Amino acid sequence: MSSHRLDTCALCPRLCRPACPVASGSAREAAVPAVIAGVLFDWQRGLGDAALAAKAATLCVDCGACQAHCHLDRPLPAALRVARVELIPAPPYEALRPIEGRGRIVAIEADERPFAKALSRRLAEPIRRWPTADRLGVAAIDYPVFENRLSELRATLADCEVVVADGAVAEVLKRAGVPFRWLHEVVPELAAPTGSCRTAGSKPAACCGAAGPLAAHHPEDAVRVGKHWLARTEERRVNDARCRNHLVAIDRTVRDALDLLLEST
Amino acid sequence: MIDLVPEGVRWSEDLLDRNAVARDLWPGGTLRFWKGEHAPAPRIVVWPSTDAQVHAVLRRAEALKVPVIPYGMGSGVCGGARGREDAVTVDVKALDSIGPLDTERWTVDCGAGVNGQHLEDWLDARGFTLGHSPSSIWCSSVGGWAAARSAGQFSSKYGVFEDMVLQLRAVSPTRGPFIVGEGGDAPDAWMDSLLGSEGTLAVITSLRLRVWPKPQARALRGWSFPSVEAAVEAMRGLMQNELWPAVIRLYDPVDTRIGGKTKPEKDPGDRSFLKELLHAVDGLPEVRKRLLSLPLRLPGLINEVFDRMAAGCMLIVGFEGDPAVVAASERAGNRILTAAGGEDLGVAPGERWFRSRHHVSYKLMPIFERGGFADTMEVACAWSQLVPLYHAVRDALSPTVVVMAHMSHCYPEGASIYFSFAGRGDVDVYDATWKQALDAVLAIGGTATHHHGVGSLKAHAASVEVGAAVAGWRELKHLLDPKGVMNPGRLYVDVEGIVPPPVAFKPEPSDNLAHAHALANLAERRDAGAPREPLWDWESFPMPPRWQRLPWQTGVIEVSGTVDGHAVRLGRAPRSAAGPDLRGWLSARDPQAICTFATAELGARWLGEATCDRPWEVARELLRGDLRPAVLNVVRGRLRVGFRGAAAASFGAVASTRVPGGLAEIPWDAGSLPSGRLVPCEPGDERCAMTTPQGYFRREHP
Ligand SMILES: Cc1cc2nc3c(=O)[nH]c(=O)nc-3n(C[C@H](O)[C@H](O)[C@H](O)COP(=O)(O)OP(=O)(O)OC[C@H]3O[C@@H](n4cnc5c(N)ncnc54)[C@H](O)[C@@H]3O)c2cc1C
Ligand code: SF4
Ligand code: SF4
Repeated sequence: MSSHRLDTCALCPRLCRPACPVASGSAREAAVPAVIAGVLFDWQRGLGDAALAAKAATLCVDCGACQAHCHLDRPLPAALRVARVELIPAPPYEALRPIEGRGRIVAIEADERPFAKALSRRLAEPIRRWPTADRLGVAAIDYPVFENRLSELRATLADCEVVVADGAVAEVLKRAGVPFRWLHEVVPELAAPTGSCRTAGSKPAACCGAAGPLAAHHPEDAVRVGKHWLARTEERRVNDARCRNHLVAIDRTVRDALDLLLEST
Repeated sequence: MIDLVPEGVRWSEDLLDRNAVARDLWPGGTLRFWKGEHAPAPRIVVWPSTDAQVHAVLRRAEALKVPVIPYGMGSGVCGGARGREDAVTVDVKALDSIGPLDTERWTVDCGAGVNGQHLEDWLDARGFTLGHSPSSIWCSSVGGWAAARSAGQFSSKYGVFEDMVLQLRAVSPTRGPFIVGEGGDAPDAWMDSLLGSEGTLAVITSLRLRVWPKPQARALRGWSFPSVEAAVEAMRGLMQNELWPAVIRLYDPVDTRIGGKTKPEKDPGDRSFLKELLHAVDGLPEVRKRLLSLPLRLPGLINEVFDRMAAGCMLIVGFEGDPAVVAASERAGNRILTAAGGEDLGVAPGERWFRSRHHVSYKLMPIFERGGFADTMEVACAWSQLVPLYHAVRDALSPTVVVMAHMSHCYPEGASIYFSFAGRGDVDVYDATWKQALDAVLAIGGTATHHHGVGSLKAHAASVEVGAAVAGWRELKHLLDPKGVMNPGRLYVDVEGIVPPPVAFKPEPSDNLAHAHALANLAERRDAGAPREPLWDWESFPMPPRWQRLPWQTGVIEVSGTVDGHAVRLGRAPRSAAGPDLRGWLSARDPQAICTFATAELGARWLGEATCDRPWEVARELLRGDLRPAVLNVVRGRLRVGFRGAAAASFGAVASTRVPGGLAEIPWDAGSLPSGRLVPCEPGDERCAMTTPQGYFRREHP
């Protein structure tokens, strides 16, 4: 942790709180970035307890909004990632499954919906299907052991044209350096009118609570963040299947590009 | 614990949540945190999401005699929301609805737990602004602004926060939910007592606020002045000429020098000597800490060195709003500033200030990191006392801390001074510094707080300042919270012994203040104000409640009288945040009370008259077009619009273009403003006596 000083954030008058979707959506003071930093700072200096620090470090969707807001450009999201790795054992992840079928394009299926089949119909060409039950093991993405998974992915997907619909899968591929396209880029008419946060470019934006460690460690807060997000937008269309799967449990009318694809085919 | 939490209310007794609300942003608490000392965590945190839930929590707490601490965003700097081990903290952030926005009346409804920046972003997306921009806009809540009487950087145009509140919903243990202000079911006088009550009377749950369209023009400039005295004269000139700039900020010579505010903007690669030094020792935390804590160990010397280095001071002046009004105001303002000895530095310093106006909040952390403490203190007084107050507080602070100041939040009657200071990170030094500074302010007759409120830090000073008039707050406390569970130990404390009556304040002619009996009639007040005229010529005291006035229409300034045989003096400054505004209570209670009110010079004035259809509607549109007339009434069906001060004729010309058929100049006659409680009416109602951007009013008792 020495390379990730948390003292400035721990002393900060909580200036990035309006940017943080978890702080805003959960209404918990404990989720305010500077407050999280305070808990971790105490733990770093031997004054706090590790279980509390782990709870604090996971009140995060890893969206980067705090750093983007910060006038001092403090790398708090990175510090939180490092802290999580130190505080929480690496979660297990399943072995990669075989890629099924043949074709130029590989569609990575991260939920139960028949993505490859629908895309194949839409593009009128065979599509290979690659199912994953744990989004390629994204929960372990920051742990050193995940390097093996990244190499595996690079080897498996070399020379493949990859299409994704799920933000967690996209994150893993990005980390591995594997090029891919979003479904809504392959079929632009499926794109949500205003885009949705992770798919809309590099600028961090309000998150619906589906990303990062939040949903696994604080499911109730993830739902609160989702409700807050929905309450502040008329938008009921998203690009990212991870967001859709999270939000649809709160509001059944939410649809993503894959829903539209399935409906159209 | 379960006993304390009614069915359906979200709660937590997780240490993570309890610790998170244990500490607010009181720098004394930050210093203790840095030293490894934790603030007391409350027993439980609850997040009610409706008024009924708030009431259920308060009733349980009252029955079980558990203290209640309302918590907004914890940005208070006086320890008002700090935890106590036996307490329940009521976090209001689940009261977070925004809207509806009434685009016809220019009002917005909003939950107390809404973040300030979120509200401003929401309004901005719809073409409006609240005009409230405290440096803490990112980290404070709307309810917290009301509870602690916040003031924003543009207060001289839009008013301080209480000027924006049209309606307030609150819940107390005994009364339950109630509404004050527009459409209220509780006495009007409660509004003044709830604003600034810092959680000691009730939980504020939602507010209706006055909003404005986003400004179409903004003109900010920097001015250099040879001395604080010269600049203060210029500031007074701007305000007393009724130009209502959005920004007036004077940096004292030290702040001007240290902050580099007179220099052109640096490119990002350009570093000052101090920054180079910091950079060089960045990798050596121990060296960095020692090196930079050195000045904090020798504050007296450093203050002297800074004084010698410093020369001249920087004033930022900005106008915003309607382009024609901004242009006329700026032209007149520039003449006043030049005549007072100011050198125009152009738009760059003003624009730089605007861009970085919230960044100052980032400057305090490095001082704590280096083993010191940093804090701020905002005091206020009438114009003639401002420079003496500035020197008195600097002298009191200088032996223990490095100090600099800026003056802002200006009114026709006076202004506030904001001291920033840094010292050795020692709790005893910290506590002693505050005591010296507060004693100095009270001795000279200023208010101990202009906008940060009281909390625990200033509870003693505020109690001395308010004196026996604390009975006004106690009366309401007895009605709303008779068991005393609401935020005990904050705001007011029992001060031992008889408090000596505070220094008598003798206004100078330059203050444009006059005194009159609380029961004085219009003629008596005009006599008392002579040779000037009352700035706002209310028919009688009390004036209409604040939400029926315009933000810039002040009522009384100081009220002095007696309570239970003790002399008291409230409103030592144009504005004080030393708890609720008890001046109305005092003047109603003591028939002998004396009120200080603002007057205007009989200088340049312009009055125009027009015969037009629906004159009150035209009048309202003038206000909505950013004009701030000294006279705006309808006399025998004819619209009258008048302005005072250096831009009077120019404002008159702008107004003339907006009145169908134009305004014809007539001899000055200030007329009078309706007093007492007003009743909303239609613009065509022949009893209509006043308008604000929100609507029309007639007298309750003709
Ligand atoms: C960096 C920084 C800059 C600042 N700049 C300014 C500035 O420019 N202008 C300014 O005015 N202030 C400023 N402040 C002070 C602070 O932001 C204000 O006092 C603000 O009004 C507090 O709001 P909050 O929501 O954080 O309240 P809190 O700190 O949570 O509470 C403050 C007090 O109000 C009570 N309270 C809070 N919410 C409610 C409610 N809903 N009902 C009843 N009681 C309640 C609390 O019990 C407490 O006593 C600054 C603070 C910081 C840290
Ligand atoms: S990232 Fe910046 S704004 Fe956020 S807590 Fe850290 S220092 Fe403060
Ligand atoms: S990365 Fe995002 S979720 Fe995490 S603390 Fe920063 S703003 Fe909050």
